[in-house]
Amino acid sequence: MRRIRRLVSVLGAGSLVLGAMTLSVAASSVSASAATKFKACVVTDTGGINDKSFNASAYQGLKDAAKVDSNISYTYLSSSSSTDYAPNINSFISQHCGIIVTVGFLMDAATAAAANAHPNQKFAIVDDAPAVKKGTHVLALQYETDQAGFLGGMLAAGMSKKGTVATYGGQNFSAVTLYMNGFVAGVRYYDKTYAKKVKVLGWTPAKGACSLASCKGSGTFVGNFTDQTAGQSDTTTFFSEGADIVFPVAGSVGLGSVAAAKQAGAGHYVMWVDSNGCVSDKADCKLFVGTVAKGVEASVKAAVLEAAKGTFKAGSYIGTLKNQGTALEYGGVKVPAKLKAEIAKAKAGIIAGKISVNPNKYPAR
Amino acid sequence: MPTEPTTKRSWRIHATTGSPVVVTVFALLLGLMVGAVVIITTTPAVLDAWRGLFHSWSAPAHALNVTFDNVGAAYRAMFTGSIINPPQLWHSLVTGRGWTNSLTPLSETLTYATPLVIVSIGVGIAFQTGLFNIGANGQAVIGGIAGAAMGSMVHMPSVFHLPLSLLAGVAGGALCGAIPGLLKAYTGAHEVIVTLMFNYVTYAFLLFAVLSTPFQQPGQQNDIGRTMDSSAQLAPLFGAHSGLRVSYGIFVAAAVVLFAWWLLNRSSIGFDFRVTGANPAAARASGINAKTVIVLVFLISGGLAGLAGVVQVASTTHYVDGGFLIGNAGIGFTAITVALLGRNRPVGIVWASLLFAALGVGGRNMQSLTGIPLDLATVIQSAIVLFVATPLLVKEIFRLRGTTQGSLQLATKGWGS
Repeated sequence: MRRIRRLVSVLGAGSLVLGAMTLSVAASSVSASAATKFKACVVTDTGGINDKSFNASAYQGLKDAAKVDSNISYTYLSSSSSTDYAPNINSFISQHCGIIVTVGFLMDAATAAAANAHPNQKFAIVDDAPAVKKGTHVLALQYETDQAGFLGGMLAAGMSKKGTVATYGGQNFSAVTLYMNGFVAGVRYYDKTYAKKVKVLGWTPAKGACSLASCKGSGTFVGNFTDQTAGQSDTTTFFSEGADIVFPVAGSVGLGSVAAAKQAGAGHYVMWVDSNGCVSDKADCKLFVGTVAKGVEASVKAAVLEAAKGTFKAGSYIGTLKNQGTALEYGGVKVPAKLKAEIAKAKAGIIAGKISVNPNKYPAR
Repeated sequence: MPTEPTTKRSWRIHATTGSPVVVTVFALLLGLMVGAVVIITTTPAVLDAWRGLFHSWSAPAHALNVTFDNVGAAYRAMFTGSIINPPQLWHSLVTGRGWTNSLTPLSETLTYATPLVIVSIGVGIAFQTGLFNIGANGQAVIGGIAGAAMGSMVHMPSVFHLPLSLLAGVAGGALCGAIPGLLKAYTGAHEVIVTLMFNYVTYAFLLFAVLSTPFQQPGQQNDIGRTMDSSAQLAPLFGAHSGLRVSYGIFVAAAVVLFAWWLLNRSSIGFDFRVTGANPAAARASGINAKTVIVLVFLISGGLAGLAGVVQVASTTHYVDGGFLIGNAGIGFTAITVALLGRNRPVGIVWASLLFAALGVGGRNMQSLTGIPLDLATVIQSAIVLFVATPLLVKEIFRLRGTTQGSLQLATKGWGS
């Protein structure tokens, strides 16, 4: 019995000492983290910061901002499911982040709830426009990617030797289909304007025009943003149907298209999406005719810098060809100067509002 | 006291022999050590300190210092993020304010543990019968969809709505579990293959459901389902304005624990289950109907998985989306390891779930404070399970005496049957 008592007392004393140590250490770490630096924080979707797509781009935007302004520090939290969104955002609120960047429409509800509960906290959300109360500080970053997709469609149509191009998506929702819709419009516009007969596979637009909120139609979809094997087999099918340029809008699934193009041999190319393929996948640059890019990095960077400077404005940012929030970037394949000039002309037309990016305005082939 | 020698002896034997509890505790320690090694080998600051080992006399001390600082900071962040942050608690005790911040870690751990307990008990019951339910995740997905549909597309007062939503989840999961059970009982199809493949069927169904017009969130083109009515939600225990997410779902989990304990230890069906698991031939010889047992086990296991799915939805997001329980979030797969860790017993599973939830929640805090990726928590979880599954190794490392098998053998032998 005595022994047990002795053991208990030793344990008790030990735990007291331990407790005191954690107390002092934790207290010092709290004071250290409360430095005067401006903290930019990003909560990523389930893709994580290495998805080579919009999560990676948003994080890169934070890094870029920190390079410009040395007073900015940055950090991230990745979510393993939608259950994590709210606690991740709340964790950053309690860490006094100067701005919290959330990524994707799935975080709409969590971001809106957090913004309503903390009206003074600055938020930027990529690819979504949540409905929030007045007086909150939420900047919605959205991109009219059908404009750059249109130019991508023209480029593909102009470069196709066999007279057929194709596109496919990850899943059938507007953030994806907007690209495909613009791509189809670009091909049809090219056919009509320059009297060509290029066919496009993989996307049939529904009646009416597309908007950021809704872009309906039917087409080829992998069903996710991770299965590269499915991307490869879809692309091989397109090649066997006579296509020679394929435009995947499915994040890293597009790497399956690259593999298929390699397998199919010379004359088969890929149009990359989101961030320049010749940067994110340098080794395969010669297979990319171009990239339909979305300016996530630049717009997140701008939002963070403005928040750090105190000039942050809540509201909505729409990336267009005009403000370079979306753009066509050329890849490793040589493009004739004549085609480049035609694309530049169309770009000016879209910016001026003279050319519609609605595929239903042009006859289908 | 005449009884003293025996109590003392049994206490010491308990601590020095390989009883299941002791092995688990040591496995936890070993898991944390493996985690420390990962932190040391992947943190640039620590590696730099060790690289300069021979540059000066004080370098070794410095390197050790940096190592302990980094490993300590990581585990401290895990602890304060999942259980309690002592300075914060002290602040609350003294000033009486900031209780939300003080209790958030525990609340989060309980929030994550609640559905995990329910689904793991479902898996554990199947294990005890010698059946492998690898499809618990798919059953939870269907349960979540069914519960969310009942909670969002039908409207009625809370007294009926919440129980009906939970029941819809149970029914969805049970239906999804019954099919592999019937196939196993009447055609002999192997339940591992069938349940595993059923997961893919349910994912496809999930995508179909959240993109179908009746179930999709109105005004939404993306893969998000309808939000459950507040009358069908599991409300936060301390009120919506408390900022704490822990919900009335913990009572559902408690009820499931009681039910499972009664089923396995006090009911005659549970006895049939356990006998079938221990020795199918003997069970058949003594007149237990194997087909009935198989179908019943899959109904119960699937029903509990479905209940876990709907509890997850009703207590956190209140809607299902295209990523519901997919990938790292697949609690139905985590449940397999949790059930193993808890030795398939309801109370053991509660502790194992709390441990896994705490590692996950604390891992997030660690990631945001130290920059060490959340995946480290997964490494520690996996290492613990690995060590628990190899009790001989743990006993060898810590020089424990005696042999115990527990019900672990039971859980791991079903593959051949």
